[in-house]
Amino acid sequence: MKMKNIYKYLIAGILVLQLSACSNTDAEQLFDENPTTRLNNQKSELNDALLSSQFGWKAVYFTDNTVLGGYTHLFKFAQDGTVEMASDFDTDTNIYKSEYAIQLGSTVSLVFTTANRIHLLSESDNYPIASLRAKGYLGDFQFLYYGQENGDIVFKANRNKQEIRFVKATAQDWADLPKNFLMIPNIIGKNAFGANRGLEIVDGTNKKTYDFNPFSTITRSTSYSDASANNVLGIGYAPNGLVVSPAIVVGGQKLSNFVYNNTDGSFTATGTNGISASIKYSNIPFVITDDYKVMLKSPSTAYGYIAANLATAPTNSALCNALLNEINNNLPSTQKVNRVQFTFNDANGDSYIAYTFTGGKTTIYHNITLKEDAANKILQLISGTWENNLGQTIPEPDLLKKIDAELTNSKGLYAKKEAFTFNASNKLYTFANANNNGFRLTTYAFQ
Amino acid sequence: MKLLKYNKILVLALTSVLLFSCEHEEQPKESQLDYTSPVQTNLDKWITTNYLNPYNINVQYKWNQNTVDNSRYLFPPTIDRVQPALEIVQKIWLNSYATIGGPDFVKKISPREIVLIGGVNLNSVGTRTLGLAEGGQRVTLFETDYIERTNRANVTEFIHTIQHEYIHILNQHKPFDEKAWGAITPAGYAADWYNYSIPVSNEIGFITSYARLNINEDFAETAAMILISTKAEYATFLSKIKSPTALAALKAKEALVVKYFKEAYEMDFYALRDEAEKNTTAVINN
Repeated sequence: MKMKNIYKYLIAGILVLQLSACSNTDAEQLFDENPTTRLNNQKSELNDALLSSQFGWKAVYFTDNTVLGGYTHLFKFAQDGTVEMASDFDTDTNIYKSEYAIQLGSTVSLVFTTANRIHLLSESDNYPIASLRAKGYLGDFQFLYYGQENGDIVFKANRNKQEIRFVKATAQDWADLPKNFLMIPNIIGKNAFGANRGLEIVDGTNKKTYDFNPFSTITRSTSYSDASANNVLGIGYAPNGLVVSPAIVVGGQKLSNFVYNNTDGSFTATGTNGISASIKYSNIPFVITDDYKVMLKSPSTAYGYIAANLATAPTNSALCNALLNEINNNLPSTQKVNRVQFTFNDANGDSYIAYTFTGGKTTIYHNITLKEDAANKILQLISGTWENNLGQTIPEPDLLKKIDAELTNSKGLYAKKEAFTFNASNKLYTFANANNNGFRLTTYAFQ
Repeated sequence: MKLLKYNKILVLALTSVLLFSCEHEEQPKESQLDYTSPVQTNLDKWITTNYLNPYNINVQYKWNQNTVDNSRYLFPPTIDRVQPALEIVQKIWLNSYATIGGPDFVKKISPREIVLIGGVNLNSVGTRTLGLAEGGQRVTLFETDYIERTNRANVTEFIHTIQHEYIHILNQHKPFDEKAWGAITPAGYAADWYNYSIPVSNEIGFITSYARLNINEDFAETAAMILISTKAEYATFLSKIKSPTALAALKAKEALVVKYFKEAYEMDFYALRDEAEKNTTAVINN
């Protein structure tokens, strides 16, 4: 190539360079302001919001609603970087002061920088159940700011991204915080209201029912279940009822605040357009299953009520407890009912109910035959002979007449495998009188 | 070569166009970053006077996710607990080293930052981590919310942490005789040290069970335990060791610690121990 050409190309090259050197290097502006300005704006937006509410903010913090429930916190932020706080973590609902800061982490966040009530959820050595050892109550106190929604401030926990919603608090909220604890007995419930406790969801026209399982005050959680699934539900206490998480979603509406009704022991969350959810009692089972079918055939199955373990099971109905107590009262003071145990289809193909006692009283057997009411999913125990522990036939003992009449009633029993355990790892089955008269007995499955 | 000349001029002209064509870009304005220093509370001022100025040590008591292990369930100290904890550290640790090692000793060799954590750092195996030293720069002290100033055992356990971690920092500046140390009780080291009781570990020549993790922890534990014990307490401890080999091993380790302090830092380890004992008693009785 000639020198002349080299320069020609060189000039052309420089020209191209020069033309492109001043081309528009600005990236397309997706935002009106640069990142620093936007972060600063977010910081002051959050700080202004925190300071804006006269009585501060209320948050029911569900740290992880797959194992734990909610803990109500009240916050009142001050300009000088301090925050006053109260919580229902324990019965100390006094107000304490500490510091807070708005820090920049993965995004703008609210951090409670020195210890206060919220930190009680993050004590590694204070954990409610063994599986949470070294993890406390899975709590966080660095909340990432996710904006505002209908006047609420929305955060997510730094660690597990659980949503925390700050709702404007009222003077009443501060005054009523200790009342949360008065609601606990109502949340635990009492079987005087009915043999079964369920969750009834109405979507305006249709009704769907679940069993509402016993509530644990240790984890503040429970579950509701039907024949196909068990759904864990975290619960928070409120002066007038309870709060659940995750919310029950019906027809696109989220129901989470349930109000207590002391006449029937129910808790109801009401939406719009006839949508509601209520936790209520009934003598009619909320869920009827095929769980009885395994009892009709071999191999042999056995289910036992063991007084020492199950006398306090919440799924024994008031009627059941009354009948068991009546037997105990009719026995000498040294003797008590020990077990009421079903054996179905033993090696000889026999089925019977065994009544055992403490204090030396010998076992009494009631032979039965089994029948199925498949249409209604009912197991029927047809009364046969009575035997003593020596295999001798005896007349029906007066002592057991009433409870036995419930178990062998002509309509039969609803048998159901429960979704929870009680005082042992055995599966629980309940047997309820299909006449829905309020008789329900809790047993351990021995297989 | 006329063409070349013109080209030269052209190239120069173009280059200058290239260089100046972008000069109209905006000049920087005032910073958008918030560089105002945060409000100093009385506690912050106390820290500046007692830690930052004399020892060049920063104390971080407010939660900062970047200085803690976020997988742990910890929490920051209660404000009222911070100064009492720092006073204990100042009196027993800083003052003792300053008296024996010279006023600038800790200033020259010290962690640049102390992080205070209010809660317990419980491990899933059930043990508690009392302190951490990271790269000789930062010492994290846990359980500051649970210090009882008048309870000697409690104060001693807390101060054990800083004494232990500071030995690590000293070791990072000047190594100890690892070869000689490793030869004393080579068979006793175990990763699952927490499965052994302290008396069992004592009887094979280790001052604590944690000392069995490795020789570095063994050295730090040996030195720290002697520093937090009174002379009498340590003598009693040795007198109760039944195994003669264990006793000999403990004494050999003690001798290596004393030698290390003398040779590396020209410090009388026993004088340091006595000073710490005096200061501990002063803390508890005040």
